[in-house]
Amino acid sequence: MGRKIVVDPVTRIEGHLRIEVEIENGKVKEAWSSGTMARGFEAMLIGRDPRDASYVTSRFCGVCYSVHQLCSARALDMAFGAQVPWGGNLIRNLVMGAQYIYDHVLHFYQLSALDYIDIMAVTEYKGRDPDLLAIKEKIVKLVKAGDPHPLLPRYKPDEFCVRDPEVVLTAVKHYLDALKMHAKARNMGAIWGGRTPHYQNIVVGGVTSYPDINQVMQFKTMLDEQKRFVDDVYVKDVIYFGTGPLWKLAKTGLGAGHRNYLVYGDFPLDPNWKELVFPSGVVYDFDHTEPKVRPFDHNKITESVKYAWYREREPVHPFDGEQVFDLDKKGAYSFVKAPRYEGRAMEVGPLARMIVKKHPVLFDFFRRGGKVGVVARHLARAIETQLMVEACYRWLDQLLVEMTKPGFKIHDTDHWEPPAEGMGYGFHEAPRGALGHWVKIRDKKIANYQAVVPSTWNASPRDEKGQRGQYEESLIGVPCPDPENPINIVRVVRSFDPCLACAIHVIDPVTNEVRKFVVE
Amino acid sequence: MERLERDLEFYGVSRRDFLKYCASFAVLFGLSELEFTRRLAHAVEKAERKPPVIWLEGQDCAGCTVSFAGLLYPPVGAIILDKLSLRYHETLMASAGELAESVYHETVKEGGYVLVVEGSIPSSDDRFCLVGGRPFREIVLEASKNATCILAVGACASFGGIPKATVSKGMGVKDLVSGKPIINLPTCPVHPDHLVGTILYILTTGKLPELDDFNRPKMYYSQSIHDNCRRRGHFEAGNFLQDWNDPAQKDYCLFEKGCKGPMTYADCPIRRWNSGTNFCIDCGAPCVGCAEPGFYDEMSPIYTAESEASRKILALKKSGLI
Repeated sequence: MGRKIVVDPVTRIEGHLRIEVEIENGKVKEAWSSGTMARGFEAMLIGRDPRDASYVTSRFCGVCYSVHQLCSARALDMAFGAQVPWGGNLIRNLVMGAQYIYDHVLHFYQLSALDYIDIMAVTEYKGRDPDLLAIKEKIVKLVKAGDPHPLLPRYKPDEFCVRDPEVVLTAVKHYLDALKMHAKARNMGAIWGGRTPHYQNIVVGGVTSYPDINQVMQFKTMLDEQKRFVDDVYVKDVIYFGTGPLWKLAKTGLGAGHRNYLVYGDFPLDPNWKELVFPSGVVYDFDHTEPKVRPFDHNKITESVKYAWYREREPVHPFDGEQVFDLDKKGAYSFVKAPRYEGRAMEVGPLARMIVKKHPVLFDFFRRGGKVGVVARHLARAIETQLMVEACYRWLDQLLVEMTKPGFKIHDTDHWEPPAEGMGYGFHEAPRGALGHWVKIRDKKIANYQAVVPSTWNASPRDEKGQRGQYEESLIGVPCPDPENPINIVRVVRSFDPCLACAIHVIDPVTNEVRKFVVE
Repeated sequence: MERLERDLEFYGVSRRDFLKYCASFAVLFGLSELEFTRRLAHAVEKAERKPPVIWLEGQDCAGCTVSFAGLLYPPVGAIILDKLSLRYHETLMASAGELAESVYHETVKEGGYVLVVEGSIPSSDDRFCLVGGRPFREIVLEASKNATCILAVGACASFGGIPKATVSKGMGVKDLVSGKPIINLPTCPVHPDHLVGTILYILTTGKLPELDDFNRPKMYYSQSIHDNCRRRGHFEAGNFLQDWNDPAQKDYCLFEKGCKGPMTYADCPIRRWNSGTNFCIDCGAPCVGCAEPGFYDEMSPIYTAESEASRKILALKKSGLI
């Protein structure tokens, strides 16, 4: 029996995550991923006006804000029989495009970068760049004053930490610049979204924000600045780190996990949804020399609750899902359920999307010896940020044409009132991956509501067959020479950009049962 | 190593390229972080030590953290590094697990910190929110003891917010903690100006700002959305938006789309959001009343005039009070 270590809380993620691993001979032998917070939004929606769902579900998460708002609105669009006009879809695309740019930049710099640099190396900087000197001086001052929070303390730097003082200082500078850039990306989204986090303009049938030409120009000007940062800083940093100081790590394939990838597909580039920024598809046992992409069919999704704190039952499709909490369930260790596709544990997110899209830059990385894993995930995320920037330019051009046509529409007003009965589902490729909402309406009210979110796929516990979730599988074999300093574990987990508040949002719709609390 | 250089060249990025960018970027932004620091308020400059801050997240969505991180004027980086000693913040701190917990415990022991709470506290069963294996409720109680004051940020930490309507029965800090100064900064999420402004007010004056009956600073929450709404003329004239596609009515009053502006006290129409870019009503969406203790139940349904709040507004209108 190896030594067990627990990382709780896993920080620099959204939500509350506990990772437990068993170490043997300096490597992870077993891993358990647990979501430790639940609010119960979905059950609370039952009996309410269905239109509330897009507002409420947006609050599943404030980091990947509004992804649920959009997904929910899409599920309601179907249930209401609403046809979103192309103008409405263009604005939905643009505000979500702004959200992507913000979200991926935030993830790389604020949530991940500190795992890859030895921040104390800045004190050894001997160069004369005034900007870098200013940052050096600031950090040295903080350390001397004995108050370097929140940059320190941290896990001890290891062989994969970059120590070149100039590189580290530059990275710290980019960390500070990124704070401003993602704030600006969010301002860009607020042009039509109203404000962030949590846009206000996405509702069933379309959007509420009637655009004008000046706003299009304002968005474009702000997008130009984002493009400069994404192309010249973010993507270059990721490539520089990934193929330079971290190339050794990239070749190890640290944190690969199950090599199964799932993409629902999203972001139409034309009114008929023929061309998508992210095409849908399924890949099993990925091999970059022969990537076989299968078509996606949502009927093949099931959710297992064997190891989750919900009433025991057979795995079912999300339309028939239920969430009866059982906080005393034996063997359960997470609030996250275990979704499976054709019974398999899948990875969703940027790496899955760029694999299914067979993006040349990523496949080049593989041909040169890079493997799926931590570094590939960061690279895929950076690549698709560029794709999103380019798509935003296209959508702005299309919007300009569209809004000057007579009868321009942003909303299907004829289908604003809830139907007596209805069923619908909506899909969205959120920054963290494939997202789906399912809704049933009875007597003009919500009768059932289910969401299967990206981090539910990635952070899931074991299923009824004992198959590990993707985080868990990714941790197996990860080197952990010093159990006091499990830096590789947080690297692997953070590379997925976990969002646990999203993953756990459910509760019993039938009995609202909550068991008595027992202090351990 | 040669191999690496080749790979880098293939991608068109050299180390030089990467480092060179920095200087041009600084020009783009004008002020460096350090220069900015020098210009900050004297009171804080003189302080011998930066006030420690513990930021706890309970039943939250991290939206308030993200909102705070969106501050540009001043940049949030300057606040985090120059003005405060942010000891514990799950989403931003470098450390994790036991290491993170140890910093928390040391700071609590030391005392004299500002406690920020984001997210509600489950009141029906502690197990709905465990951090480090412990009930969040216990952590809030423990961290409150040695805090100088508590800032409840966002609707959830202030009054329970949306989680209050769920089976976990989320509650605000004030429902749990007594005997400590508590400042509520509702809205969903918190407005970054409200949070940073309140902190700066306390640091500069050494006093709490004047609070209303719901512990909200009067400087931000004393006027209704309705009183400062530029669509108010349309409310008086009875012009209510019916169709979002019609340019002629795009600036009409949103009351019939569920706007709760007359029952909601916050300075959104004046201050606006995202560095003044916009706010809910200006993007054609109704005010949802997220600054009020009754949010969300009293405000639901959100998009019609049938909620409890909307009925109150109608009654006020009938009796000529608004």
